[in-house]
Amino acid sequence: MKLLINKANPGLIAPVFLIGCLLLLNGILRAQDSTMVEQPEAPAKVKPVKNTFQSVWISDNQTVMVPVKGTMEMDIMHRFGTWNNGYEDFWGFFAPSNIRIGMSYVPINKLNVGIGFTKTTAAVIPQGTTSSVSGPLWDLGLKYSLITQTKGKYPVSVSYYFNGSYNTMKDPDHDVYRYNSDRLAFFNQILIARKITDKLSVQVAPSLSHHNVVNGYYTKLNDSTLEINPSMEFNHFALALSARYKLTDVTSLTINYDQPLTRHATSNPNPSLSFGIEFNTSSHSFQLFFTNFYFLNAAINNMYNTNNPFEYTDHSTNDPATPADESTKVKGGRFLIGFNITRLWNY
Amino acid sequence: MKKKSVMIIAFFFAGALIFSLTTGFKSLQDNKPWPVPDNYKNMKNPVASNATSIAEGKTLYSTHCKSCHGAKGLGDGNKAAQLKTEAGDFSKSDFQSQTDGALFYKTSEGRDDMPNFKKKIPDAEERWSLVNFLRTFKK
Repeated sequence: MKLLINKANPGLIAPVFLIGCLLLLNGILRAQDSTMVEQPEAPAKVKPVKNTFQSVWISDNQTVMVPVKGTMEMDIMHRFGTWNNGYEDFWGFFAPSNIRIGMSYVPINKLNVGIGFTKTTAAVIPQGTTSSVSGPLWDLGLKYSLITQTKGKYPVSVSYYFNGSYNTMKDPDHDVYRYNSDRLAFFNQILIARKITDKLSVQVAPSLSHHNVVNGYYTKLNDSTLEINPSMEFNHFALALSARYKLTDVTSLTINYDQPLTRHATSNPNPSLSFGIEFNTSSHSFQLFFTNFYFLNAAINNMYNTNNPFEYTDHSTNDPATPADESTKVKGGRFLIGFNITRLWNY
Repeated sequence: MKKKSVMIIAFFFAGALIFSLTTGFKSLQDNKPWPVPDNYKNMKNPVASNATSIAEGKTLYSTHCKSCHGAKGLGDGNKAAQLKTEAGDFSKSDFQSQTDGALFYKTSEGRDDMPNFKKKIPDAEERWSLVNFLRTFKK
């Protein structure tokens, strides 16, 4: 039987510490910059690099980009089913799909705030629970550009991204969530990107996902004592690597790889590989790609991805469900088609 | 009776065709003057026209302008037909004879179908680079 284990402390300490460190780093770098400006023979004005990426999204990840002040953006995101059933469900097109609609706005320079809702909330519920769409998952996002790549000053652009989500799935008897705070999940990411040439940009983004509740399992120690253990860690570290190569001024190829870093007792998530094409116009960005991520929420994707890009043999012996001498072959190639459409307005 | 219906339909389509052609013709004739304030007209382009600036201008043009004004600035972009006003031919002398300041003003402020690009391209130097790129359409 699976149990839900909740943690009393909501786990906001790590993100707050992270933001504090980043702001401090930003302050130090700016302080260094101001001393440079005071020098009498300042070099000719060097402008920060622009358009490291042309959209705030690169498949399932955020990019370092924060649009110009006054930009309002609408996101329409879609993930179809995996292509493995072939013609039967038309390579996933007719399989149950996932949808996210989001709106974001840049009220002050360098800060993007947004809200969105996502259809599928199935990932965090225990096995055997029926409905996956009885209430959307709401998310609040925030991205702040700390440093912008500038020749002779900053070799990279750095942004901090936070996303907090609340699962509104129906649970009147508290079978799934004992406390309302169990419905919360948090995602923190530092985005570090460099525009290497006009055509090629790369990004490295370490992240920390925190879930207030995880599934658990119990071991019967004797007739009257049960030991309950969480099946996964509450915090999950991951690393995302992304790149964009411009074919023309408005068309680019994109690639992402998301590697889980935290080792859990059971149910270790799979990495994700995505690759696709991006088209940009004055007011839109269209991205069409293959990916392994289905959930349209970074914290859930990173911690609960069951689709595997590559076939591998799982030798893990710490899974209580698997005997120590048994290894399982995990099928790879579970890709699904996804698209992101963004519409921009400038006010 | 049947013949009469056919005649009515034929007249209706002929009328619609003539109406659309005349209104289309009228809108193309509707090339009203676009006055430029003197301070803009005499403004000096602060961005030197070099390869970097022209490349920057080309990227901006491809993203923001090409769909109406066309790849070669002939006013034949794929959205041009939907416009109420003429997209203009940037290769002609009546366009190229305008000062950089006048082109900068029109690009920045916009009018009718032409959007205001001050918010979308907030960096004035980028809009000047766009003007430098528009000069490459000269024949």
